[in-house]
Amino acid sequence: MIGTVRVEALSKSYQVRQRKGLFKSQKSSVEALQSVSLDVQAGEVFGLLGPNGAGKTTLIKILTTLLLPTAGDAWVNGYHVLRQENQVRASVGCMLMGERGLYWKLTGRENLEYFGALYHLSPDQRKRKAQEIIDLLGLKDLADRTVETYSSGQKMSLAFGKALINDAPLLVLDEPTNTLDVPSASELRATVRDLNAQGKTIIYTTHIMSEAETLCKRVAIIDHGQLLALGTIAELKASLGRSQVTRIEGVITSKSLAAIRQLPEVEQASRTSLETIDLLTVVTRQGHENLPKLIETLNRTGALIQKIAPEEVTLEDVFIAKTGRTLAEDTTAH
Amino acid sequence: MSAAQPTLRSNLSITLASMRMRLITVSRYPGQLVMDIIIPIVFAAMPILLGRATAGPNAEQVFAANTGTTNYVAYMLIGSSVFTIVSFAFWHMAYWLRWEQETGTLEALYLSPTHRLWVAGGTALYSCLRSLFSAIAAFLLGSLILRVDPFEGEVGLAFLFILSGMIPLYGMTLLFGALVLKVKEANALINLMQWGISFLMGVFFPIAFFPPLIKILALLFPPTWMTNGVRSALLGVGFFFQEWYLDLAVLWASMLIAPLLGYWVFTRTEISIRRNAGVGQF
Repeated sequence: MIGTVRVEALSKSYQVRQRKGLFKSQKSSVEALQSVSLDVQAGEVFGLLGPNGAGKTTLIKILTTLLLPTAGDAWVNGYHVLRQENQVRASVGCMLMGERGLYWKLTGRENLEYFGALYHLSPDQRKRKAQEIIDLLGLKDLADRTVETYSSGQKMSLAFGKALINDAPLLVLDEPTNTLDVPSASELRATVRDLNAQGKTIIYTTHIMSEAETLCKRVAIIDHGQLLALGTIAELKASLGRSQVTRIEGVITSKSLAAIRQLPEVEQASRTSLETIDLLTVVTRQGHENLPKLIETLNRTGALIQKIAPEEVTLEDVFIAKTGRTLAEDTTAH
Repeated sequence: MSAAQPTLRSNLSITLASMRMRLITVSRYPGQLVMDIIIPIVFAAMPILLGRATAGPNAEQVFAANTGTTNYVAYMLIGSSVFTIVSFAFWHMAYWLRWEQETGTLEALYLSPTHRLWVAGGTALYSCLRSLFSAIAAFLLGSLILRVDPFEGEVGLAFLFILSGMIPLYGMTLLFGALVLKVKEANALINLMQWGISFLMGVFFPIAFFPPLIKILALLFPPTWMTNGVRSALLGVGFFFQEWYLDLAVLWASMLIAPLLGYWVFTRTEISIRRNAGVGQF
């Protein structure tokens, strides 16, 4: 069966307790998802982008039957997430919790074989499948060591391997390259591409925009529980219309940022502070004709411009245009 | 569908895999099994030595008048050994859930197309094996150290009471597991529960001493029947209903009620948790 996902007006709210001192608390409701509708087509790598707390993990947890939605419907591989839970679970391979979700006192091989049992594989099938995964991910030297002795990246690789144990048509990968070093992350992305080439549908969440751009055919941007954008990367870039992205490096004061945001031509402006300099990304309507006005505003408000460059629209720019902030800004804020 | 279709055989295989996984895990904590055996002996030795120190030369007669046996050493050893089985059941099942929740493996279990009861069954089997081994070893070693005959009375009947009591006991642990999932705490709950359990099941004294209301409460608790059944079979202290088969019938009735009640409460709790923040939130 080829994997597909259909989500119709999915909403999720839950109660949280806000602590007020030692003994007092107040209940409040959190709208984690607000009427989200989307579809994932068979055989594609679908990117799910959003800052922390945007609702993407809630969406994934509903799709994998870990959470019950408050309203709406969803189907995974043709199975309804509420009425056919076991069929959904059997047809999805998940990597949701990074290096968590492994038994640290078991070896990598024992972990894979145990999870194989949970997917109703016979003892022979478990052994064979575990060996296949160990070979595929190059874990041969680690396979018979207890997981507690693995590095963080090695645990991530094993967690990725665990998602492959049931040979599911749909893989749900939540930030799979987190804590991996650059070569390992690159290898994992290559494996994801290979699996996709073999026909697997993949839902991939990441906060690394370049990763989403290179891997995903279509992406959805979610923020505050709402679906802000959905489409191919080319479509999303084109959706910015004649918008121009300008990157400015230097010392950008808060006053400068506020003044830039006040300009009628500016759609979005976002500042990221690096070690010694600030990076200001400005999305403006129309083209380069706004450049003098930007420079004049920055000079007037005390900014020091070291470098200014109009650039091609990237997925990061789409993200800024839709959410009003960079993903890096959000990640450091948390 | 990619995973194989569930069958009774594959579900039983999951139970065995779950049991095996936990046995492997505990085997990697050297020293744990030794502690499992020593603790019940120390637990029983305290009241035995206290009794010897305070009851004087008529200790056995006074004890026999209240309990029906002069063998207070075996009485205490049986109490602490059965308590080991009961306490382990709560620790293993409730702590298992909490541990899986904290390490993130509980979500991984819920992602698989396996009913949790098959996995819980594996944990219960592991717990049965470990607690039976510890309780029997502690009873035999304790008998050797404290110089009593461990094989007097009807050993087979005593085993029948233990095995019959284990099924309702693990049913009760599901109730307790549901509570742990709900309040996201295990250690304090189990510690508190242990005192209540040891008190109600009459670990060191006959429940005849209880006031009527507490006695009724104690009799609603299957481990009380288990403990008294083993003591009656080995030491002849007297069954609650005079005949062994009547006491056993009570345990068999609770064999049906406790697991069903535990299962019902556990699944209701699961649904309520999945409606809110999910099983992974700890």
